[in-house]
Amino acid sequence: MRWFLRIIKSLLVALVLFFFLFPVYWLVTTAFKQSEDWFTWPPSFFPSTWTLGNFLGLEGGFFGSVTTSISTITPYLRNSVVVAVSVALISTAIAALAAYAISRYKIGGMGFISWIISIRMLPPIAAALPLYVIFSHLHLVDTWWALIAAHLLFTTPFSTWILITFFNDIPRELDEAAYVDGASPGQAFLKIALPLGMPGLAACATLSFVQSWGEFLMALVLTTSDNAQTLPIYLGRFITGWRIAWGPLAAAGLVTMIPVIVFSLIMQRYLLRGLTFGAVKG
Amino acid sequence: MPTKRGSRKKAAFFMILPLLVLFIGLTVYPFAYMIYMSFHDYSLVSWEEPKFVGLENYREIFRDRTARSSVTFTVILLVAAVPLEILLGIGIAFLFRDTLGEKVFRSSLLIPMTIPPVVAGIAWKMLYNYEFGPVNYFLSLFDLPKVSWLGSQFFAQLGVILIDVWQWTPFVFLIIYAGLQSIPRDIVEASLVDGASGWNALRYIELPLIQPLIWVALIIRVIDVLKIFDIVYMVTFGGPGSATHSYSFYIYKVGVSFGWDIGYASALSIILLLVITLLANFLIKALRLKEILEL
Repeated sequence: MRWFLRIIKSLLVALVLFFFLFPVYWLVTTAFKQSEDWFTWPPSFFPSTWTLGNFLGLEGGFFGSVTTSISTITPYLRNSVVVAVSVALISTAIAALAAYAISRYKIGGMGFISWIISIRMLPPIAAALPLYVIFSHLHLVDTWWALIAAHLLFTTPFSTWILITFFNDIPRELDEAAYVDGASPGQAFLKIALPLGMPGLAACATLSFVQSWGEFLMALVLTTSDNAQTLPIYLGRFITGWRIAWGPLAAAGLVTMIPVIVFSLIMQRYLLRGLTFGAVKG
Repeated sequence: MPTKRGSRKKAAFFMILPLLVLFIGLTVYPFAYMIYMSFHDYSLVSWEEPKFVGLENYREIFRDRTARSSVTFTVILLVAAVPLEILLGIGIAFLFRDTLGEKVFRSSLLIPMTIPPVVAGIAWKMLYNYEFGPVNYFLSLFDLPKVSWLGSQFFAQLGVILIDVWQWTPFVFLIIYAGLQSIPRDIVEASLVDGASGWNALRYIELPLIQPLIWVALIIRVIDVLKIFDIVYMVTFGGPGSATHSYSFYIYKVGVSFGWDIGYASALSIILLLVITLLANFLIKALRLKEILEL
Protein backbone atom coordinates (compact mmCIF):
# COMPACT_ATOMS: atom_id res chain seq x y z
CA MET A 1 0.00 0.00 0.00
CA ARG A 2 2.78 2.40 0.92
CA TRP A 3 4.73 1.77 -2.27
CA PHE A 4 1.54 2.19 -4.25
CA LEU A 5 0.93 5.63 -2.76
CA ARG A 6 4.53 6.49 -3.42
CA ILE A 7 4.18 5.63 -7.10
CA ILE A 8 1.02 7.71 -7.40
CA LYS A 9 2.81 10.61 -5.78
CA SER A 10 5.80 10.33 -8.13
CA LEU A 11 3.48 10.21 -11.12
CA LEU A 12 1.72 13.35 -9.95
CA VAL A 13 5.02 15.14 -9.42
CA ALA A 14 6.12 14.13 -12.92
CA LEU A 15 2.83 15.34 -14.39
CA VAL A 16 3.10 18.71 -12.62
CA LEU A 17 6.69 19.21 -13.78
CA PHE A 18 5.78 18.21 -17.31
CA PHE A 19 2.92 20.70 -17.51
CA PHE A 20 4.96 23.61 -16.20
CA LEU A 21 8.21 22.90 -18.01
CA PHE A 22 7.15 21.53 -21.38
CA PRO A 23 6.34 24.95 -22.95
CA VAL A 24 9.82 26.14 -22.00
CA TYR A 25 11.38 22.94 -23.33
CA TRP A 26 9.52 23.42 -26.59
CA LEU A 27 10.73 26.99 -26.97
CA VAL A 28 14.34 26.06 -26.25
CA THR A 29 14.44 23.10 -28.64
CA THR A 30 12.68 25.03 -31.41
CA ALA A 31 15.37 27.67 -31.20
CA PHE A 32 17.87 25.04 -32.31
CA LYS A 33 15.71 23.32 -34.95
CA GLN A 34 16.43 23.39 -38.66
CA SER A 35 13.70 24.93 -40.78
CA GLU A 36 12.54 21.46 -41.97
CA ASP A 37 11.73 20.62 -38.35
CA TRP A 38 9.57 23.68 -37.62
CA PHE A 39 6.48 22.25 -39.28
CA THR A 40 6.26 18.47 -39.00
CA TRP A 41 3.70 15.91 -37.96
CA PRO A 42 4.22 14.37 -35.56
CA PRO A 43 6.01 17.40 -34.09
CA SER A 44 9.72 16.82 -33.61
CA PHE A 45 10.15 16.56 -29.87
CA PHE A 46 13.84 16.06 -30.08
CA PRO A 47 15.49 17.68 -33.10
CA SER A 48 17.52 15.23 -35.18
CA THR A 49 20.14 17.85 -35.88
CA TRP A 50 20.79 20.87 -33.75
CA THR A 51 21.69 24.11 -35.49
CA LEU A 52 22.70 27.61 -34.51
CA GLY A 53 21.31 28.88 -37.80
CA ASN A 54 18.28 30.50 -36.18
CA PHE A 55 20.54 32.77 -34.18
CA LEU A 56 22.89 33.57 -37.04
CA GLY A 57 20.25 34.13 -39.69
CA LEU A 58 21.32 31.11 -41.73
CA GLU A 59 18.12 29.10 -41.50
CA GLY A 60 16.07 30.04 -44.54
CA GLY A 61 12.72 31.64 -44.06
CA PHE A 62 10.04 31.13 -46.64
CA PHE A 63 7.58 33.12 -48.61
CA GLY A 64 5.14 34.88 -46.33
CA SER A 65 7.27 35.11 -43.24
CA VAL A 66 8.44 38.61 -42.47
CA THR A 67 11.65 38.27 -40.59
CA THR A 68 13.87 35.32 -41.21
CA SER A 69 16.77 35.93 -38.90
CA ILE A 70 17.48 37.63 -35.67
CA SER A 71 20.45 39.48 -37.11
CA THR A 72 18.36 42.68 -36.86
CA ILE A 73 18.15 42.27 -33.11
CA THR A 74 21.09 44.55 -32.24
CA PRO A 75 19.36 47.94 -31.77
CA TYR A 76 16.61 46.33 -29.69
CA LEU A 77 19.14 44.52 -27.57
CA ARG A 78 20.98 47.80 -27.03
CA ASN A 79 17.76 49.61 -26.04
CA SER A 80 16.79 46.83 -23.65
CA VAL A 81 20.18 46.87 -21.97
CA VAL A 82 20.28 50.66 -21.62
CA VAL A 83 16.73 50.95 -20.31
CA ALA A 84 16.91 47.97 -17.95
CA VAL A 85 20.29 48.93 -16.48
CA SER A 86 19.19 52.54 -15.93
CA VAL A 87 15.95 51.40 -14.34
CA ALA A 88 17.85 49.01 -12.09
CA LEU A 89 20.26 51.68 -10.84
CA ILE A 90 17.80 54.56 -10.48
CA SER A 91 15.05 52.54 -8.89
CA THR A 92 17.41 50.96 -6.38
CA ALA A 93 18.82 54.34 -5.38
CA ILE A 94 15.40 55.93 -4.93
CA ALA A 95 14.03 52.88 -3.14
CA ALA A 96 17.00 52.57 -0.78
CA LEU A 97 16.60 56.13 0.46
CA ALA A 98 12.84 55.85 0.86
CA ALA A 99 12.95 52.40 2.44
CA TYR A 100 15.51 53.52 5.00
CA ALA A 101 13.41 56.52 5.97
CA ILE A 102 10.32 54.36 6.29
CA SER A 103 12.05 51.57 8.18
CA ARG A 104 13.89 53.82 10.64
CA TYR A 105 11.74 56.90 11.04
CA LYS A 106 8.32 55.47 10.14
CA ILE A 107 7.81 58.49 7.96
CA GLY A 108 4.35 58.76 6.42
CA GLY A 109 3.05 55.84 8.46
CA MET A 110 0.43 53.46 7.15
CA GLY A 111 -0.96 55.92 4.66
CA PHE A 112 2.28 56.30 2.73
CA ILE A 113 2.93 52.57 2.69
CA SER A 114 -0.58 51.88 1.43
CA TRP A 115 -0.08 54.42 -1.31
CA ILE A 116 3.06 52.65 -2.44
CA ILE A 117 1.15 49.36 -2.63
CA SER A 118 -1.64 50.96 -4.63
CA ILE A 119 0.84 52.28 -7.16
CA ARG A 120 2.37 48.85 -7.49
CA MET A 121 -1.10 47.45 -8.21
CA LEU A 122 -1.89 50.10 -10.81
CA PRO A 123 -3.02 48.71 -14.18
CA PRO A 124 -0.23 49.58 -16.66
CA ILE A 125 -2.67 50.42 -19.44
CA ALA A 126 -4.30 53.09 -17.29
CA ALA A 127 -0.91 54.70 -16.70
CA ALA A 128 0.33 54.26 -20.26
CA LEU A 129 -2.26 56.46 -21.95
CA PRO A 130 -1.86 59.65 -19.88
CA LEU A 131 1.91 59.12 -19.84
CA TYR A 132 1.90 58.92 -23.61
CA VAL A 133 0.08 62.23 -23.87
CA ILE A 134 2.39 63.89 -21.36
CA PHE A 135 5.55 62.54 -22.95
CA SER A 136 4.40 63.57 -26.39
CA HIS A 137 4.01 67.16 -25.11
CA LEU A 138 7.55 66.92 -23.77
CA HIS A 139 8.78 65.38 -27.04
CA LEU A 140 9.96 62.33 -25.13
CA VAL A 141 7.94 59.65 -26.90
CA ASP A 142 10.21 57.08 -28.52
CA THR A 143 13.15 57.88 -26.26
CA TRP A 144 14.84 55.85 -23.55
CA TRP A 145 13.80 58.45 -20.96
CA ALA A 146 10.09 57.89 -21.40
CA LEU A 147 10.47 54.17 -21.01
CA ILE A 148 12.81 54.45 -18.03
CA ALA A 149 10.38 56.75 -16.23
CA ALA A 150 7.43 54.49 -16.98
CA HIS A 151 9.26 51.39 -15.75
CA LEU A 152 10.38 53.16 -12.57
CA LEU A 153 6.74 53.60 -11.70
CA PHE A 154 6.45 49.83 -11.21
CA THR A 155 9.93 48.78 -10.08
CA THR A 156 10.39 51.41 -7.37
CA PRO A 157 7.44 50.33 -5.20
CA PHE A 158 8.59 46.72 -5.54
CA SER A 159 12.17 47.55 -4.53
CA THR A 160 11.05 49.81 -1.71
CA TRP A 161 9.13 46.93 -0.22
CA ILE A 162 12.01 44.48 -0.37
CA LEU A 163 14.34 47.03 1.20
CA ILE A 164 11.95 47.99 4.00
CA THR A 165 11.88 44.38 5.17
CA PHE A 166 15.63 44.24 4.66
CA PHE A 167 16.45 47.34 6.73
CA ASN A 168 14.04 46.16 9.41
CA ASP A 169 16.28 43.15 9.89
CA ILE A 170 19.37 45.28 10.49
CA PRO A 171 19.60 45.96 14.22
CA ARG A 172 18.67 49.50 15.14
CA GLU A 173 21.30 49.55 17.87
CA LEU A 174 23.94 49.99 15.19
CA ASP A 175 22.37 53.27 14.06
CA GLU A 176 21.98 54.42 17.64
CA ALA A 177 25.63 53.71 18.29
CA ALA A 178 26.57 55.80 15.26
CA TYR A 179 24.41 58.69 16.47
CA VAL A 180 26.07 58.54 19.88
CA ASP A 181 29.39 58.84 18.07
CA GLY A 182 28.06 62.01 16.45
CA ALA A 183 27.04 60.73 13.02
CA SER A 184 24.28 62.49 11.09
CA PRO A 185 21.33 60.48 9.73
CA GLY A 186 22.88 60.68 6.28
CA GLN A 187 26.14 59.24 7.55
CA ALA A 188 24.33 56.49 9.46
CA PHE A 189 22.60 55.54 6.22
CA LEU A 190 25.73 55.61 4.08
CA LYS A 191 28.15 54.04 6.53
CA ILE A 192 25.96 51.46 8.24
CA ALA A 193 22.69 50.66 6.51
CA LEU A 194 24.02 50.66 2.95
CA PRO A 195 26.99 48.32 3.47
CA LEU A 196 24.91 45.94 5.58
CA GLY A 197 22.04 46.13 3.14
CA MET A 198 24.18 45.30 0.11
CA PRO A 199 22.60 41.89 -0.56
CA GLY A 200 19.17 43.53 -0.52
CA LEU A 201 20.31 46.30 -2.85
CA ALA A 202 21.79 43.75 -5.25
CA ALA A 203 18.52 41.82 -5.21
CA CYS A 204 16.49 44.96 -5.93
CA ALA A 205 18.73 46.02 -8.78
CA THR A 206 18.61 42.58 -10.35
CA LEU A 207 14.87 42.17 -10.01
CA SER A 208 14.18 45.68 -11.32
CA PHE A 209 16.38 44.85 -14.28
CA VAL A 210 14.37 41.71 -14.91
CA GLN A 211 11.03 43.49 -14.73
CA SER A 212 12.11 46.27 -17.04
CA TRP A 213 13.69 43.81 -19.45
CA GLY A 214 10.50 41.84 -19.95
CA GLU A 215 7.99 44.70 -19.76
CA PHE A 216 5.79 44.90 -22.82
CA LEU A 217 2.80 47.23 -22.57
CA MET A 218 4.61 50.47 -21.72
CA ALA A 219 7.19 49.80 -24.40
CA LEU A 220 4.43 49.11 -26.89
CA VAL A 221 2.67 52.40 -26.24
CA LEU A 222 5.61 54.71 -25.54
CA THR A 223 8.02 53.72 -28.30
CA THR A 224 7.56 53.74 -32.04
CA SER A 225 10.86 52.85 -33.69
CA ASP A 226 14.12 51.06 -33.08
CA ASN A 227 15.38 54.25 -31.43
CA ALA A 228 13.87 53.02 -28.20
CA GLN A 229 11.92 49.80 -28.81
CA THR A 230 12.98 46.93 -26.58
CA LEU A 231 13.28 43.19 -27.10
CA PRO A 232 9.68 42.28 -26.19
CA ILE A 233 8.44 44.62 -28.92
CA TYR A 234 10.90 43.07 -31.35
CA LEU A 235 9.45 39.67 -30.51
CA GLY A 236 5.91 40.91 -31.02
CA ARG A 237 6.82 41.98 -34.55
CA PHE A 238 7.68 38.44 -35.55
CA ILE A 239 4.07 37.39 -35.17
CA THR A 240 2.97 38.69 -38.53
CA GLY A 241 2.94 37.35 -42.04
CA TRP A 242 1.19 34.23 -43.22
CA ARG A 243 3.39 31.82 -41.45
CA ILE A 244 5.55 32.60 -38.50
CA ALA A 245 9.22 31.73 -38.73
CA TRP A 246 9.23 29.64 -35.57
CA GLY A 247 12.96 28.97 -35.38
CA PRO A 248 14.23 32.57 -35.33
CA LEU A 249 11.27 33.61 -33.19
CA ALA A 250 12.11 30.99 -30.60
CA ALA A 251 15.78 31.95 -30.83
CA ALA A 252 14.96 35.59 -30.13
CA GLY A 253 12.68 34.48 -27.31
CA LEU A 254 15.50 32.47 -25.81
CA VAL A 255 17.86 35.45 -25.94
CA THR A 256 15.21 37.54 -24.16
CA MET A 257 14.50 34.88 -21.60
CA ILE A 258 17.97 33.80 -20.50
CA PRO A 259 19.01 36.79 -18.35
CA VAL A 260 15.58 36.84 -16.75
CA ILE A 261 15.69 33.19 -15.74
CA VAL A 262 19.25 33.32 -14.50
CA PHE A 263 18.72 36.44 -12.39
CA SER A 264 15.36 35.33 -11.02
CA LEU A 265 16.72 31.99 -9.90
CA ILE A 266 19.62 33.66 -8.14
CA MET A 267 17.33 36.13 -6.40
CA GLN A 268 14.33 33.90 -5.82
CA ARG A 269 14.19 34.52 -2.06
CA TYR A 270 13.75 38.25 -2.56
CA LEU A 271 11.49 37.92 -5.57
CA LEU A 272 8.73 36.42 -3.50
CA ARG A 273 9.20 38.96 -0.73
CA GLY A 274 8.73 41.78 -3.19
CA LEU A 275 5.79 40.24 -5.02
CA THR A 276 3.85 39.63 -1.82
CA PHE A 277 4.82 42.92 -0.13
CA GLY A 278 6.73 41.13 2.58
CA ALA A 279 3.90 38.74 3.49
CA VAL A 280 6.28 35.91 2.61
CA LYS A 281 9.79 36.15 3.93
CA GLY A 282 10.99 33.41 1.61
CA MET B 1 17.68 65.94 22.48
CA PRO B 2 14.82 67.66 20.64
CA THR B 3 17.02 69.29 17.99
CA LYS B 4 18.51 65.93 17.05
CA ARG B 5 15.00 64.48 16.67
CA GLY B 6 14.04 67.35 14.42
CA SER B 7 17.08 66.97 12.21
CA ARG B 8 16.36 63.27 11.80
CA LYS B 9 12.80 63.97 10.71
CA LYS B 10 14.14 66.43 8.21
CA ALA B 11 16.69 63.94 6.90
CA ALA B 12 13.97 61.31 6.58
CA PHE B 13 11.86 63.72 4.57
CA PHE B 14 14.72 64.36 2.15
CA MET B 15 15.21 60.64 1.81
CA ILE B 16 11.67 60.00 0.62
CA LEU B 17 11.66 63.12 -1.54
CA PRO B 18 12.89 61.44 -4.77
CA LEU B 19 10.22 58.76 -4.42
CA LEU B 20 7.55 61.39 -3.78
CA VAL B 21 8.58 63.44 -6.80
CA LEU B 22 8.60 60.35 -9.01
CA PHE B 23 5.19 59.16 -7.87
CA ILE B 24 3.52 62.54 -7.96
CA GLY B 25 4.94 63.30 -11.39
CA LEU B 26 3.99 59.93 -12.79
CA THR B 27 0.68 59.32 -11.10
CA VAL B 28 -1.04 62.36 -9.62
CA TYR B 29 -0.76 64.62 -12.64
CA PRO B 30 -1.56 61.90 -15.21
CA PHE B 31 -4.61 60.79 -13.27
CA ALA B 32 -5.92 64.26 -12.85
CA TYR B 33 -5.53 64.57 -16.61
CA MET B 34 -7.31 61.28 -17.12
CA ILE B 35 -10.28 62.21 -14.96
CA TYR B 36 -10.52 65.50 -16.86
CA MET B 37 -10.36 63.74 -20.23
CA SER B 38 -12.95 61.15 -19.26
CA PHE B 39 -15.54 63.95 -19.39
CA HIS B 40 -14.38 65.09 -22.81
CA ASP B 41 -14.59 64.00 -26.37
CA TYR B 42 -10.97 63.92 -27.47
CA SER B 43 -9.03 61.91 -30.00
CA LEU B 44 -5.34 62.23 -30.77
CA VAL B 45 -5.84 61.70 -34.48
CA SER B 46 -8.28 64.55 -34.98
CA TRP B 47 -7.08 68.11 -34.75
CA GLU B 48 -10.00 69.23 -32.63
CA GLU B 49 -9.68 70.52 -29.10
CA PRO B 50 -11.19 68.38 -26.31
CA LYS B 51 -14.93 69.02 -26.13
CA PHE B 52 -16.82 68.74 -22.84
CA VAL B 53 -19.45 66.01 -23.04
CA GLY B 54 -20.29 65.40 -19.37
CA LEU B 55 -20.97 61.77 -18.54
CA GLU B 56 -21.36 60.73 -22.18
CA ASN B 57 -18.20 58.56 -22.17
CA TYR B 58 -19.42 56.70 -19.09
CA ARG B 59 -22.87 56.17 -20.61
CA GLU B 60 -21.18 54.84 -23.72
CA ILE B 61 -19.62 52.00 -21.69
CA PHE B 62 -23.07 50.59 -20.97
CA ARG B 63 -24.14 50.78 -24.61
CA ASP B 64 -20.90 49.42 -26.04
CA ARG B 65 -21.21 45.71 -26.82
CA THR B 66 -17.47 45.11 -27.13
CA ALA B 67 -16.95 46.71 -23.72
CA ARG B 68 -19.54 44.32 -22.33
CA SER B 69 -17.90 41.30 -23.93
CA SER B 70 -14.50 42.36 -22.59
CA VAL B 71 -16.00 42.55 -19.10
CA THR B 72 -17.56 39.13 -19.63
CA PHE B 73 -14.27 37.58 -20.69
CA THR B 74 -12.45 39.15 -17.74
CA VAL B 75 -15.09 37.73 -15.39
CA ILE B 76 -14.72 34.31 -17.05
CA LEU B 77 -10.99 34.49 -16.36
CA LEU B 78 -11.63 35.44 -12.75
CA VAL B 79 -14.11 32.65 -12.19
CA ALA B 80 -12.25 29.93 -14.10
CA ALA B 81 -8.55 30.66 -13.77
CA VAL B 82 -8.11 32.13 -10.29
CA PRO B 83 -9.83 29.38 -8.23
CA LEU B 84 -7.97 26.76 -10.27
CA GLU B 85 -4.65 28.48 -9.60
CA ILE B 86 -5.34 28.69 -5.87
CA LEU B 87 -6.42 25.04 -5.56
CA LEU B 88 -3.61 23.71 -7.74
CA GLY B 89 -1.08 25.93 -6.00
CA ILE B 90 -2.08 24.61 -2.57
CA GLY B 91 -2.22 21.03 -3.87
CA ILE B 92 1.23 21.20 -5.43
CA ALA B 93 2.68 22.79 -2.29
CA PHE B 94 1.51 19.77 -0.26
CA LEU B 95 2.58 17.39 -3.01
CA PHE B 96 6.11 18.73 -3.27
CA ARG B 97 6.66 18.98 0.44
CA ASP B 98 9.05 16.29 1.70
CA THR B 99 9.64 14.97 -1.81
CA LEU B 100 13.13 14.07 -2.88
CA GLY B 101 14.42 17.02 -4.90
CA GLU B 102 11.86 19.55 -3.65
CA LYS B 103 14.36 22.42 -3.83
CA VAL B 104 15.02 21.78 -7.51
CA PHE B 105 11.29 21.38 -8.26
CA ARG B 106 10.55 24.59 -6.43
CA SER B 107 13.10 26.53 -8.44
CA SER B 108 11.94 25.07 -11.73
CA LEU B 109 8.36 26.14 -11.07
CA LEU B 110 9.69 29.66 -10.82
CA ILE B 111 10.30 29.69 -14.56
CA PRO B 112 6.73 30.08 -15.88
CA MET B 113 6.03 33.12 -13.71
CA THR B 114 9.33 34.85 -14.34
CA ILE B 115 9.88 34.46 -18.07
CA PRO B 116 8.67 37.57 -19.85
CA PRO B 117 4.97 37.13 -20.75
CA VAL B 118 5.82 37.93 -24.36
CA VAL B 119 8.14 34.94 -24.53
CA ALA B 120 5.57 32.75 -22.81
CA GLY B 121 3.09 33.93 -25.42
CA ILE B 122 5.40 32.80 -28.22
CA ALA B 123 5.87 29.37 -26.66
CA TRP B 124 2.12 28.88 -26.29
CA LYS B 125 1.36 30.17 -29.74
CA MET B 126 3.59 27.40 -31.07
CA LEU B 127 2.00 24.83 -28.77
CA TYR B 128 -1.52 25.77 -29.87
CA ASN B 129 -0.71 25.68 -33.59
CA TYR B 130 -3.54 23.85 -35.36
CA GLU B 131 -1.61 21.81 -37.91
CA PHE B 132 1.69 21.09 -36.20
CA GLY B 133 1.26 22.04 -32.54
CA PRO B 134 2.24 19.64 -29.77
CA VAL B 135 -1.02 20.21 -27.87
CA ASN B 136 -3.04 18.80 -30.74
CA TYR B 137 -0.51 16.02 -31.01
CA PHE B 138 -1.05 15.07 -27.36
CA LEU B 139 -4.81 15.12 -27.97
CA SER B 140 -4.35 12.81 -30.96
CA LEU B 141 -2.55 10.31 -28.71
CA PHE B 142 -5.86 9.94 -26.89
CA ASP B 143 -7.75 9.67 -30.18
CA LEU B 144 -9.18 13.13 -29.75
CA PRO B 145 -9.71 15.31 -32.81
CA LYS B 146 -7.50 18.32 -33.55
CA VAL B 147 -8.74 21.49 -31.93
CA SER B 148 -8.62 24.89 -33.56
CA TRP B 149 -7.34 26.52 -30.37
CA LEU B 150 -7.25 30.08 -31.55
CA GLY B 151 -10.09 29.81 -34.05
CA SER B 152 -13.17 29.24 -31.95
CA GLN B 153 -14.52 31.38 -29.15
CA PHE B 154 -14.69 28.59 -26.60
CA PHE B 155 -11.22 27.18 -27.23
CA ALA B 156 -9.54 30.57 -27.52
CA GLN B 157 -10.95 31.50 -24.12
CA LEU B 158 -9.98 28.13 -22.70
CA GLY B 159 -6.54 28.62 -24.22
CA VAL B 160 -5.99 31.93 -22.43
CA ILE B 161 -7.26 30.43 -19.15
CA LEU B 162 -4.81 27.56 -19.52
CA ILE B 163 -1.89 29.89 -20.11
CA ASP B 164 -2.81 31.97 -17.08
CA VAL B 165 -3.01 28.83 -14.96
CA TRP B 166 0.37 27.75 -16.30
CA GLN B 167 1.93 31.13 -15.58
CA TRP B 168 0.52 31.90 -12.17
CA THR B 169 -0.17 28.63 -10.34
CA PRO B 170 3.56 28.66 -9.48
CA PHE B 171 3.09 32.03 -7.78
CA VAL B 172 0.39 30.64 -5.49
CA PHE B 173 2.45 27.50 -4.98
CA LEU B 174 5.54 29.44 -3.92
CA ILE B 175 3.60 31.52 -1.40
CA ILE B 176 1.85 28.53 0.15
CA TYR B 177 5.03 26.45 0.09
CA ALA B 178 6.94 29.18 1.92
CA GLY B 179 4.07 29.38 4.40
CA LEU B 180 4.15 25.63 5.05
CA GLN B 181 7.90 25.77 5.64
CA SER B 182 7.38 28.37 8.34
CA ILE B 183 4.93 26.25 10.36
CA PRO B 184 6.86 24.84 13.32
CA ARG B 185 7.18 21.09 12.91
CA ASP B 186 6.53 20.31 16.58
CA ILE B 187 2.96 21.66 16.46
CA VAL B 188 2.00 19.18 13.78
CA GLU B 189 3.98 16.35 15.35
CA ALA B 190 2.41 17.00 18.75
CA SER B 191 -1.05 16.70 17.24
CA LEU B 192 -0.07 13.43 15.56
CA VAL B 193 1.18 12.09 18.88
CA ASP B 194 -2.11 13.11 20.44
CA GLY B 195 -3.84 10.85 17.95
CA ALA B 196 -4.88 13.23 15.17
CA SER B 197 -4.89 11.71 11.72
CA GLY B 198 -2.66 13.22 9.04
CA TRP B 199 -5.71 14.62 7.32
CA ASN B 200 -7.02 16.26 10.51
CA ALA B 201 -3.63 17.81 11.23
CA LEU B 202 -3.72 19.30 7.76
CA ARG B 203 -7.33 20.41 7.98
CA TYR B 204 -7.33 21.87 11.49
CA ILE B 205 -3.74 22.99 12.03
CA GLU B 206 -1.86 23.66 8.81
CA LEU B 207 -4.62 25.10 6.64
CA PRO B 208 -5.76 27.64 9.25
CA LEU B 209 -2.15 28.71 9.72
CA ILE B 210 -1.61 29.39 6.03
CA GLN B 211 -5.06 30.90 5.52
CA PRO B 212 -3.85 34.52 5.68
CA LEU B 213 -1.38 33.75 2.90
CA ILE B 214 -4.12 32.20 0.79
CA TRP B 215 -6.02 35.47 1.07
CA VAL B 216 -2.98 37.48 0.02
CA ALA B 217 -2.39 35.19 -2.97
CA LEU B 218 -6.07 35.33 -3.94
CA ILE B 219 -6.33 39.12 -3.90
CA ILE B 220 -3.07 39.63 -5.78
CA ARG B 221 -4.21 37.15 -8.42
CA VAL B 222 -7.60 38.83 -8.79
CA ILE B 223 -5.94 42.21 -9.29
CA ASP B 224 -3.45 40.79 -11.79
CA VAL B 225 -6.15 39.04 -13.82
CA LEU B 226 -7.93 42.37 -14.20
CA LYS B 227 -4.73 43.70 -15.77
CA ILE B 228 -4.03 40.80 -18.15
CA PHE B 229 -2.77 42.10 -21.47
CA ASP B 230 0.52 40.68 -22.81
CA ILE B 231 -0.63 37.09 -23.25
CA VAL B 232 -3.81 38.17 -24.99
CA TYR B 233 -1.89 40.48 -27.29
CA MET B 234 0.65 37.85 -28.26
CA VAL B 235 -1.45 34.72 -28.48
CA THR B 236 -4.95 35.66 -29.62
CA PHE B 237 -4.85 39.42 -30.22
CA GLY B 238 -8.30 39.47 -28.66
CA GLY B 239 -9.75 37.16 -31.26
CA PRO B 240 -11.54 35.44 -32.75
CA GLY B 241 -13.83 38.45 -33.05
CA SER B 242 -13.85 39.97 -29.59
CA ALA B 243 -13.97 36.63 -27.74
CA THR B 244 -10.73 37.13 -25.82
CA HIS B 245 -10.67 40.89 -25.42
CA SER B 246 -9.56 41.35 -21.85
CA TYR B 247 -10.58 44.65 -20.30
CA SER B 248 -7.03 46.05 -20.53
CA PHE B 249 -6.74 44.87 -24.11
CA TYR B 250 -9.95 46.67 -24.98
CA ILE B 251 -8.69 49.90 -23.41
CA TYR B 252 -5.55 49.51 -25.50
CA LYS B 253 -7.59 49.06 -28.64
CA VAL B 254 -9.79 52.06 -27.94
CA GLY B 255 -6.99 54.28 -26.71
CA VAL B 256 -4.12 53.32 -28.99
CA SER B 257 -4.52 50.95 -31.86
CA PHE B 258 -8.02 52.04 -32.96
CA GLY B 259 -8.24 55.77 -33.27
CA TRP B 260 -6.54 57.11 -30.14
CA ASP B 261 -9.89 57.86 -28.52
CA ILE B 262 -8.44 59.30 -25.31
CA GLY B 263 -11.76 60.45 -23.87
CA TYR B 264 -13.50 57.10 -23.98
CA ALA B 265 -10.36 55.15 -23.05
CA SER B 266 -9.96 57.41 -20.00
CA ALA B 267 -13.49 56.65 -18.87
CA LEU B 268 -12.86 52.91 -19.27
CA SER B 269 -9.59 53.26 -17.33
CA ILE B 270 -11.20 55.19 -14.50
CA ILE B 271 -13.67 52.33 -13.96
CA LEU B 272 -10.81 49.83 -13.86
CA LEU B 273 -8.87 52.03 -11.46
CA LEU B 274 -11.84 52.27 -9.10
CA VAL B 275 -12.24 48.49 -9.00
CA ILE B 276 -8.53 47.92 -8.47
CA THR B 277 -8.27 50.57 -5.76
CA LEU B 278 -11.09 48.83 -3.93
CA LEU B 279 -9.31 45.47 -4.21
CA ALA B 280 -5.98 47.02 -3.19
CA ASN B 281 -7.69 48.12 0.03
CA PHE B 282 -8.61 44.52 0.78
CA LEU B 283 -5.03 43.55 0.05
CA ILE B 284 -3.68 46.17 2.42
CA LYS B 285 -5.97 44.80 5.16
CA ALA B 286 -4.97 41.20 4.41
CA LEU B 287 -1.25 41.95 4.49
CA ARG B 288 -1.14 42.87 8.19
CA LEU B 289 1.19 45.72 7.40
CA LYS B 290 1.63 46.68 11.03
CA GLU B 291 3.42 43.41 11.78
CA ILE B 292 5.54 43.46 8.66
CA LEU B 293 6.60 47.04 9.10
CA GLU B 294 6.94 46.86 12.88
CA LEU B 295 4.97 50.07 13.15
